[in-house]
Amino acid sequence: MPRPVAHITAPWPTQEEMEKSLGISKARKKALLPLVKRLKAELARQEETPVASIEPEKRRKRASAA
Amino acid sequence: MPPLPDPNAVFLNIPYDEEFQKLYVAYIVGLCQMGLVPHLASEIPGGDRRLDRIIQLIQSCRYSIHDLSRVELSVSPSATPRFNMPLELGMTITWQILNPGQHTWFVCESEPYRLLRSASDLNGTDPYIHGGNVQGVFRELSNAFPRDRRPSVPQMLTVYNLVDGALHSIFKNNGTRDPYSRSVFLDLCSLSVSLASFSPPAA
Repeated sequence: MPRPVAHITAPWPTQEEMEKSLGISKARKKALLPLVKRLKAELARQEETPVASIEPEKRRKRASAA
Repeated sequence: MPPLPDPNAVFLNIPYDEEFQKLYVAYIVGLCQMGLVPHLASEIPGGDRRLDRIIQLIQSCRYSIHDLSRVELSVSPSATPRFNMPLELGMTITWQILNPGQHTWFVCESEPYRLLRSASDLNGTDPYIHGGNVQGVFRELSNAFPRDRRPSVPQMLTVYNLVDGALHSIFKNNGTRDPYSRSVFLDLCSLSVSLASFSPPAA
């Protein structure tokens, strides 16, 4: 039986539109800024490390340990 | 007559308990990553009766997700069944029938066929089965809300791990350990929106 599926016609909202819909105040955003900066940096760092370059190294370590 | 619903808003009808915390964060992260705006009954400031607030929220959202995976007996000696989530689903179904085209609702479960035992009147409604895990929530959100250029499940998992890891800082900032409190919910949303790389998506 088919499940219901959302037929989204609305355009992607901007960050500002999403925050407005949630009622997130400027003060809340400001208080969160250090955490946002830290996590954005961590996200960028993770995205710069391609998985393909990690996996062979892991495999080599596993093989040498075995 | 209530105003037209926000076309990207999703009302989350979920259990507010400790065991559900990881899936709760997953719903917030997943929806925000897909350009959808989660809403929770607890986010509305008090004043009105709780039921009135929930009805207003359902009316203001274009979509709703009803996670019935924890509709079960409580572990207390009186073993009381949990009726809040089915009650809110019933209210949503009524609203949708009276206002066709203005609302779409989805049911999520952890196991196939459990819904037929807990709410057989929903026979004919196929739930989305997330298997009770974070990855399953992302998979089923992607199935229920197909959208161009949406993030992949691994991309959502990466952001989830960061947001989940920041929960203690959020608790500390808000002076509470209740993840479902209004302030923590808004911080989780704000953080998830800030980390959403697809908002707006690249052309």
